[in-house]
Amino acid sequence: MSEFRNRIESQREAIKIVNSFHLYGEPLFSLTEKSINRWVSINQIDPEAEHVNLVIQASKKLFFLANKSQEQITEDYKKLSKDVEDIFVKISQEMSLLQQNIG
Amino acid sequence: MHIYAFGSVCRGDIDMGSDVDMLIITNGHLEHINPSDYSIYSYDRIKELWEQGNPFAWHLHLESKLVFSQDSLNFLSDLGSPSAYADGESDCVKFYEIFKSACDSINETELSRMFDLSTVFLAMRNFASCYSLAYLERPDFSRRSSINLGALSVPINKEVFDVLESARILCTRGVGSSLTELQVDTAIKSLSQIECWMKSLIRRIDKV
Repeated sequence: MSEFRNRIESQREAIKIVNSFHLYGEPLFSLTEKSINRWVSINQIDPEAEHVNLVIQASKKLFFLANKSQEQITEDYKKLSKDVEDIFVKISQEMSLLQQNIG
Repeated sequence: MHIYAFGSVCRGDIDMGSDVDMLIITNGHLEHINPSDYSIYSYDRIKELWEQGNPFAWHLHLESKLVFSQDSLNFLSDLGSPSAYADGESDCVKFYEIFKSACDSINETELSRMFDLSTVFLAMRNFASCYSLAYLERPDFSRRSSINLGALSVPINKEVFDVLESARILCTRGVGSSLTELQVDTAIKSLSQIECWMKSLIRRIDKV
């Protein structure tokens, strides 16, 4: 359950980072694959863009542990938190560059 | 490998807002399966959920149908009943805390508004499902569990429920029109009623 709550908090953090740049008409709603696809499509974002790739990476990391056994979670979770934080930093850097280029 | 359908398609209350929930139980790697279209669990994880008496185990036990079996056996049926559900109170409290964290975020920023309203819906639904499984005669695992508890249902009107449900569908399936500011404001004004409802049910548990 704590992993469940952590996943919600991490998703929220990623969404806030992406939307804080105000680059697109429709904000990113969540980190599910279908929601990311909608965000890319409705805002006509290049699906190959690096920031899209990073958002997808964050999504895959966060949902990876959902169905694993407790034994697996204990070991994998330590690495996951660090990986996700690293991806968040990269998203922020990449979107900051995009914002500068647009501005 | 075993594949099951579960949820609304098995309960018979499928509607335009429903998707078909599918569970795959396997120990192997599924190369051509998109994990966002299926719930994929290992056999050990399913057994673990059964032993814990986890609400998802009860959901599957009561509302799933075998679609495919590689060995002609019905794995879930052969597991029998899950252990008794013993975490009703702590799960309700945890979903209340998830609800509160979404409310805090709503008060703090608009940046994750849709996700926060979706989380309110998720918390409300799971809270009601856990409560009904632990304390009522019949568990309700449906999306509408929070308004299916009779006199104990969440005291919000249909418009607010529909807005929260739309936020959930936008966040999970990425479909539907984005919400208007008026709809969002209407939902936010009802958060205090939802909080009172959760607190009152937790108080009922304490009295029991």
